[in-house]
Amino acid sequence: MAAYLLALRLGRWGIGGFGAVAFLVALVQAAGFYQIAGHTDAERKAFGRSMSLLASQFTVIIAPPIRLDTVGGYVQWRAFGFFAILFAIWALASASGAARGDEERGIVPALLANGLSRPRMIATRVAAFATGSVVAALAAGAGLLVGVASGGETLSTVPVLEAAVALAALGVCCYSLTLLFAQFTSARNSTAFAGVLLLALFLVNSLSRTLDVLVRWRWLSPFHYYEQSSPLAPGGTLDARATLVLLGIAAGSAVLAALAFRYRDVGSPLLTIPTPTRRASYKMSRSPIWRVPVVRDLYERRVSLLVWTAGLSALGAIFVVLTKSIVKPLLAIPELAPYFAIFVNGNIYASFLGFIWFGFAELLMAGFAITQVARWTAEDSDGRLELVLSNPISRARVVIERLIALTLGALLIAAVSGVAVGIEAHYQSIDLNSRRLAEASLLLVPFTLVFGTVGALLASRIPRATVGILGAFAFASYLTVQLGPIFKLPVWAQDVSAFKLYGQPLSTGVDQTGLVVMLVIVIAGLIASAIVIEQRDIGA
Amino acid sequence: MDVAAIQTSKLSKNYGLGRGLFDLDLHVEAQEIFGFLGPNGAGKSTTIRCLMGLIRPTAGSAHVFGLDCIRDYVAVKRKVGYVPGEMPQFGSLRGSEVVAYLGALRGGADLISVRRLAERFNLDLSRRYREYSSGNKQKLAIVLAFMHRPQLLILDEPTHGLDPLNQQEFFGLLSEAREDGATVFLSSHILSEVERMCDRVGIIRSGRLVTIADLDELHAIRFHHVELEFAPGTEVPVNAIRSAAGVEDVVASDHSVKCIVKGSFEPLLDALRGATVTNLVSHEPNLEEIFLEYYRETAPTKAMTP
Repeated sequence: MAAYLLALRLGRWGIGGFGAVAFLVALVQAAGFYQIAGHTDAERKAFGRSMSLLASQFTVIIAPPIRLDTVGGYVQWRAFGFFAILFAIWALASASGAARGDEERGIVPALLANGLSRPRMIATRVAAFATGSVVAALAAGAGLLVGVASGGETLSTVPVLEAAVALAALGVCCYSLTLLFAQFTSARNSTAFAGVLLLALFLVNSLSRTLDVLVRWRWLSPFHYYEQSSPLAPGGTLDARATLVLLGIAAGSAVLAALAFRYRDVGSPLLTIPTPTRRASYKMSRSPIWRVPVVRDLYERRVSLLVWTAGLSALGAIFVVLTKSIVKPLLAIPELAPYFAIFVNGNIYASFLGFIWFGFAELLMAGFAITQVARWTAEDSDGRLELVLSNPISRARVVIERLIALTLGALLIAAVSGVAVGIEAHYQSIDLNSRRLAEASLLLVPFTLVFGTVGALLASRIPRATVGILGAFAFASYLTVQLGPIFKLPVWAQDVSAFKLYGQPLSTGVDQTGLVVMLVIVIAGLIASAIVIEQRDIGA
Repeated sequence: MDVAAIQTSKLSKNYGLGRGLFDLDLHVEAQEIFGFLGPNGAGKSTTIRCLMGLIRPTAGSAHVFGLDCIRDYVAVKRKVGYVPGEMPQFGSLRGSEVVAYLGALRGGADLISVRRLAERFNLDLSRRYREYSSGNKQKLAIVLAFMHRPQLLILDEPTHGLDPLNQQEFFGLLSEAREDGATVFLSSHILSEVERMCDRVGIIRSGRLVTIADLDELHAIRFHHVELEFAPGTEVPVNAIRSAAGVEDVVASDHSVKCIVKGSFEPLLDALRGATVTNLVSHEPNLEEIFLEYYRETAPTKAMTP
């Protein structure tokens, strides 16, 4: 029981965080339905037809919806489809942390030294995550019920509970699979390899909806079994058999993980490749890279920078490839004309790319800034900043070097992904204004720096809470812009969002006011960070 | 007049609830090896972090070679080599890259000095930092602190994690640094360690300086728990042991004797002459026992600090 409670305690932030996100997303989607779907049966049926056509373009990612003219069907599609990805990411991070991260932190050896058996440890971890998964899934259900109540309607709790059960079963299944896979990899690679496995299982299922060759393999994917249930939509049910299969995979994977854990050394994967011995060296590195400020920081994080650059470039190119095939059918829907009128300005494809791709790129660049800020706070808590500051350099210089490195990193990602989008647009015969594309790409740099400098300021003052607050700030900024028009939020509230300050540079050019405001935030944040960090105790 | 290597005046860092550092007055001369002795949580690292300008004192001041540790913290670091209480993470960087990285921050490390230090401690710099054992991480910290031949070495429990052979090597390095003109401020919770190396020792407990002792005073403070066993059928010289100088708290039973020996062992060994001792065990008391003994000795003249 103590081990189970400890596992729950170790995962409490994940449970709280993902539970809160699930609650909010379900609440917002349910409340949003009443804002956009109309109030009469006819309006809702028309809305359902339009959204079904829209949804048919995205079946590569999300399962086809049922009854989008009802709040249950709409939330099943918009929220619970997204939750499958969200819970898989949570399970991945949590299981690789539990399996291998806790070994590196010494928690696993300490528990084993106190008499806890290895199978029991695996069992308690799975049980604790299952508990957390149920709590978060129920939070999603609660968000839905509150959202429905805000629309003056009611929804039976039975389908809500059924949806929560299916979601929790998927989460536990992904957790156990990651736990099993992590037994075979080195600690630092476990998240990446398990992530590739889960992504492959997700794609096998989602791509099987368009590629017939994959249909015969989708039985392998837990996401396939999750999609068999759609209890929230009228006429939909919880597929008990599919849910039991998910729980069966979870139990089987947990048993195999326990067996593998029993036979491997703590700190090592089950199978290891012997490395050749080599002569010791006592020489300091002579690489000039270490002598150049900022360059050494960029070099140290070169792998993650390359991954971000390649990832954004590939995604940008994919968005361009999909643009015509998505936009053309949508243009044929008269009901969507008002929706398009919001963001279409001149060239329809450029407007679409500007709204969809650069909107998504903003989100990713905010994520990039948050990961860099998280690294700064980690350097503070693990003592690296202390060691750096034991050299004759000022704290302000540390802040400035960090932000210059962030600027150059963001510039690299923005420039390369911009070029990728431009080249692919040329091949797809989509006419993009080169200057505006360059401006839109480069404008991502000050946008990223807004989050970077806010993060630097927070890290200078309250490093332990920085990532949480910055993440909430980014989430709130994004929601303000996305949902502001639907929920009729005050204009000033939308105007202060960094996502609004970025504007629509690809279709309407650079918003000079927005750019100036972003630069003012960046400069003010930089100065404030440099001042605040001088006043703070390091490592305290 | 020479400037003190370290000078603190009423230096305080109050963390609340009685935790922290209070009214610390220290004066460490240049080229002195000064030990800073105290149990865990006594305030040693807090003192060091104030000296390094990492934390701001709530009252008082700290100076290194006349430079204010807070206002002139960059200039202070030019003169200081530092071993932190715990080494941070450097992930996949190799030892050679960590040295190059931190050496460049300082403004260029001496290649020959680094190689000499790494060879001396048999520290393979081609290995990745995450592969290092805690002992190797500590060796790297020592290389980083000594590689630029600083005027002042501030060392927070520098032998932590080192095996006895490398501890010997470290003490040799410390002696050489002093011969080269360096000042050393060494924190530890091991009495024998500071007794061996230091000219003077400051003893700290619960955030307050208890005393500053030179070597003679330290020897007086020091004592050992001794257990003796005698061969069956032989006479146990209990009276001779009781009357030996520096021997206290003698407890005799059958063929064994337990006692405390303060200072030299010679009076006890003289008392044992002629007796057949089959076993003699001596162990050093922990710091808390030394403090209790110290307070017992000084109670009539000194007020006990919390």
